Amino acid sequence: MIVTLDQLPDAVRAEYPYASRFVSVNGMRMHHVDEGPRDAPPVVLLHGNPTWGYLWRDTMRPLLEAGFRVVVPDQIGFGLSEKPSLHGTHTLANHTANVVALLDALDLRGVVLGLHDWGGPTGLGAAVSRPDRIAAIAVMSTWAWTASPAEFHQRVLPWRTLHAPLLGPYLMGRRAAMPGRGMYLSVVDRARFADGAQHVYEAILSDPADRDLTWTWPRSIPIGLPSDIETEHFRWLEAEVRALHRPSTVIWGREDDVFEPGVFAAHWHEIWPHAEGTHLVTGRHFLQEDSGAEIGALLVDFADRAVRSAGGS
Amino acid sequence: MATVEVVTTRPPRTRAVPLLAEPDLGHYPGFRSFLSTTFGLDEDPLGAPGLLAVDGRVYELVFVGRSGRPFPSGVEVNALVEGLEPLDEQAADTDLWAILRWLVAGVGGEWTDDALSTTGRIYRIPAAGERP
Repeated sequence: MIVTLDQLPDAVRAEYPYASRFVSVNGMRMHHVDEGPRDAPPVVLLHGNPTWGYLWRDTMRPLLEAGFRVVVPDQIGFGLSEKPSLHGTHTLANHTANVVALLDALDLRGVVLGLHDWGGPTGLGAAVSRPDRIAAIAVMSTWAWTASPAEFHQRVLPWRTLHAPLLGPYLMGRRAAMPGRGMYLSVVDRARFADGAQHVYEAILSDPADRDLTWTWPRSIPIGLPSDIETEHFRWLEAEVRALHRPSTVIWGREDDVFEPGVFAAHWHEIWPHAEGTHLVTGRHFLQEDSGAEIGALLVDFADRAVRSAGGS
Repeated sequence: MATVEVVTTRPPRTRAVPLLAEPDLGHYPGFRSFLSTTFGLDEDPLGAPGLLAVDGRVYELVFVGRSGRPFPSGVEVNALVEGLEPLDEQAADTDLWAILRWLVAGVGGEWTDDALSTTGRIYRIPAAGERP
């Protein structure tokens, strides 16, 4: 069992050479990295399912080289953070509150948020709960609304089958469908991913009990069925996000065939008419695997203008 | 495909080895309805666990209740293994797959064996085999 980043293989450490740090959030152990000058504007990068902070390894470097403080947590249930087995832990409200607790514990102010996948709903929920801490927001292959779910998420084959009762605990729990094959199918350069990062994502969720959230979070996506469990939370979130006026940018994978840019990135511009972009980069859903450094450069430019030019701290 | 059948006799001198735990059986309600009907849970919710036999190996389904949720809210699938003998992991995995195929066939409607099998092959699930 890997407890800190020091225990990762040398090749992985070379890609992600940072110090493990831990903070208690709502009584659970959250792992994060926190690099760069303490008094520099902080950029917080939030991952989703089934990834962890390592997703942002190539994105972090340009930000650190530009002098930003970069904070990258592993969401509770992923990476090197605690992976609680109690099912009730994994509500969207609880995960959002974990991000709020992180912002409070580190007393981060003037934050530029970079949000991907479930990092979107959780990070945006934290942003509307702590608006005074948030300076600007970048969204990538994510959403914060109930209407117009992805066609992919409504299909029985394969998406709903992957997380249906008992099927989910088998396919995604016992058989690890998500960190392995699932991610492989959602990058552009599959050969490169299979030769490298795929093993890291699989190893960090090595046991079936580590993978509970990989089939729990998919059940929280509103798809217009009576069994939707987070519809009210998403309605609240969308209303709050629409009212959250912050400099924002939209970065998307050109080849994203789940959260299609023509639908989802476009919806962000309807939510936030002032948003920059859409900046299209090479990538499917896990766009950081194909264009991490390019995304980092886009974030440097965005954060420079949004925070430093505005005189933020 | 292995035959899955409901049985009523629990094999003696066996221990229960947890294999799968589903905390929210009602996420798609057809799954709860099928198991309730199959094991008579509406009439006898707190009876003995349900039993399924797969090629002679027996599995128990322990139904779980949760305040505020229709019963059963969850289910645990355990292999019943003789004495202190080790679990035959490969057989258990293959049998679980057979149980899941039996489950989706029983739930019916939009849930199909073809969708499960195809999903299994897409995601390289060993028990699903190769694409024909």
